[in-house]
Amino acid sequence: MRKVFWEGFLRGPMRCLFAVFLALIFCVGVSVAPTGASGKKVIVHGMNQDPDILDTIKAAWYSDALIYLHDRLVTRDYNFQYRPGLAESWETSGDGLVWTFHLKKGVRFHDGSPFTAKDVKWTFDTIKTPETASPFAGDLKAIEKIVIRDDYTVDFILGYPFPNLLFNLSNTAAGIQPENCYGKYGDDYGIKTVIGTGPFIFKEWIKGDRIVLLKNPDYAWGPAWMSNQGPPLFDELVIRAIPEETTRFMELETGGVHILRDVPTVFVDKLEANPDVGLVTESATKLGYLAYACDKKPFTDVRVRQAINHAIDRDTIVKFIFRGKATPAYGYLPPALKDEYLEESEALAYRYDPAKARSLLAEAGYPQGFEVSLAADNATLSKRLAEVLQAQLAEAGIKAKIQLFDSASYVAMLKEGKQDLFIRLYSWPNADILDWFLLSSQFPYPNHSRWKDETTDAMINGAATSPSWEERAEKYREVQRYLIEQAVWCPIYIPSQITAVRKEVKNFKPHPWMIQYNDGIDL
Amino acid sequence: MLRYAIKRIFLLIPILLGMTIIVFSMLHLAPGDPIDLVVGPNVTPEVRENIRHQYGLDRPVAIQYVSFVKRLLRGDLGQSILQHKPVAEIILEKFPVTLELGLTSLVISFLIAVPIGIKAAVKRNTVTDYASMSLSLVGMSMPTFWFGLMLLYLFAYKLRLFPISGYGTWRHLFLPALAIGITDAALTARMVRSSMLEVIRQDYIRTAHSKGLSKKAVINRHALKNALIPIITLLGLRIGWIMGGSVVVEIVFTRPGLGRMMVEAILSRDYPVVQGGMVVLTAAIILGNLLADVLYAVVDPRIKLR
Repeated sequence: MRKVFWEGFLRGPMRCLFAVFLALIFCVGVSVAPTGASGKKVIVHGMNQDPDILDTIKAAWYSDALIYLHDRLVTRDYNFQYRPGLAESWETSGDGLVWTFHLKKGVRFHDGSPFTAKDVKWTFDTIKTPETASPFAGDLKAIEKIVIRDDYTVDFILGYPFPNLLFNLSNTAAGIQPENCYGKYGDDYGIKTVIGTGPFIFKEWIKGDRIVLLKNPDYAWGPAWMSNQGPPLFDELVIRAIPEETTRFMELETGGVHILRDVPTVFVDKLEANPDVGLVTESATKLGYLAYACDKKPFTDVRVRQAINHAIDRDTIVKFIFRGKATPAYGYLPPALKDEYLEESEALAYRYDPAKARSLLAEAGYPQGFEVSLAADNATLSKRLAEVLQAQLAEAGIKAKIQLFDSASYVAMLKEGKQDLFIRLYSWPNADILDWFLLSSQFPYPNHSRWKDETTDAMINGAATSPSWEERAEKYREVQRYLIEQAVWCPIYIPSQITAVRKEVKNFKPHPWMIQYNDGIDL
Repeated sequence: MLRYAIKRIFLLIPILLGMTIIVFSMLHLAPGDPIDLVVGPNVTPEVRENIRHQYGLDRPVAIQYVSFVKRLLRGDLGQSILQHKPVAEIILEKFPVTLELGLTSLVISFLIAVPIGIKAAVKRNTVTDYASMSLSLVGMSMPTFWFGLMLLYLFAYKLRLFPISGYGTWRHLFLPALAIGITDAALTARMVRSSMLEVIRQDYIRTAHSKGLSKKAVINRHALKNALIPIITLLGLRIGWIMGGSVVVEIVFTRPGLGRMMVEAILSRDYPVVQGGMVVLTAAIILGNLLADVLYAVVDPRIKLR
């Protein structure tokens, strides 16, 4: 052979082409310097999903943008306590049936119109109208009607006592919309126009890419618990939708994104080593659990359900699947719900004990164990969890066959009631999640563990309609005690909420619900 | 030729009908309910039925299909269940994003493939030939998403020459177009080579050589023109394909294009969007083929289209 192969390859036109090609990459790359030279302060917030619509009334999934575009009557402070928002104060009648809200004066919507009781009434009436088909309507069942007393006073008349109204009124979905915004802005409302009273103003939404919000320079009605009641300190908040998790991570590392909520545990080690990024880890208001169709044999027997609870080694799962970025769960609510969480859950619950599991199964009439299916969604983490659970259940004599589903098929399967064992993760910052999953009125979906039990119904309904928040919390603790005794689920883990924040971002304070961008955060 | 084109465009109708029947039945056979994602489970059954009725989902699938076709004939692709806006509007938003990427990658692919293919053919059985064909084998075997991730890792993440994701500027377009362009070029280069080889063996090429023309003139003036025909077919096919073929790259580089729209719509069972998207993609593929046929006749006067 006369010459090395690339010598022949890179000759004449080929060489030119190759050189031009390399030059092109670098020219295109270097020519346009990264933006940000305009002097504007822009914070970029990364999310995994783009919303379908930016309308709190109609959306089924809420973009974080909605938190900053709208204000709510009630806010949640850094301790998740309910504090005044657009409502300066409120009081309830002795029977808990009439809630009177006194509204802040001088608040204006982004279109310049003043905020009054009419807007509050319009917002909630629209949500409750069946024709709107608002996903939020169900949460406001307790409200019978809304009565305007004067421009700045409004009464919520309830059908039964419902202390959790404070939670619902502080939800993203409860953002106050300007009266008759649908009539005023037409079908484009929530797509090309969004009007709120919040600290940020809607600029544009490039579907599938980004939502751009501008600071509201007139904002002066931030909640009293914040250090800043005025406008945000920076100019623009960009909320980018990046579905691919590796891409999100690379954007964060290269500075294309400043703040990332819900960092996947696989990237934690790398980010911890990066001096430009800080990680904030908290216990999330989430719970991962193994459930079973309680109305099917053998799960009708409480001893079988307890055996499953005894068969699962939560510590191993937390250590190896979540690399320690989770805590073992024994109760039915996440401990971050300080008021309602049952402290003695761990003491009352079923410890890892395969021998005990086997003897309980034998007692229930299954000395050889039994065969069932174990369903999971097809996310990587769920698959791994399913495999570990399969191995641990096998130790106790339960042979589980794993079945994986995409999320829409998973829900369809649960609705049809085809499940035996299945894995779920809920994410919700309120004890009413138990109503959602376990009341018999929610059967067969979302009550997918198919738990129809009068005692549970009576206990939960009693808790939900208690006259006071404290009494409600106490009754929900009773509910949890009962659920542990009945082993309705097998709670497994509480994931950690990991937020990554780049060092350029100043004054970041972790909030148990959402990042408070107008509370002094700056670049 | 005009008659031929019109005939082919009419042929679109049965093909589109067949395609829509298949897509329609597959979608409705798959488990899952779009209403779950619109309103969640916490609404009264009446509200659910209301929405179901609003989108015609309460009627038998066959009837839903007929009304879909009726609307389609009027040029109406329906209303997205989740996004609360017309499907045509959504597709129009995404179309330029995908087209921009597709055309750029096509240009890159041909710029790379044609010279390499010619060179390999002319220097058949030499080191140049083996080297370019092995490179092309590597290119063909590389999954586009992996190659895209590698480009992303090297040029955007490590060297920071490009933004990681998003779209809008040339800088956002370059890496994804390169990812598709290079993997595509691998296949095209092989096609160019084999088609060129066939032409080089012809008598008229030998004649051209023997009448004393320079090698360059023979290749550029006599051989290349004739070798172009199969490559044009490929080009026509690619134009259809690029509309739907860049799904993975759109996801890796976070480009809000048609491919990503389709994947998201399928996962959320947004039936009208999937159906509308399929109609547009099918039409693009058929029209791409038509374009190839027409170009054929333009390049080679011997071919008469009837």
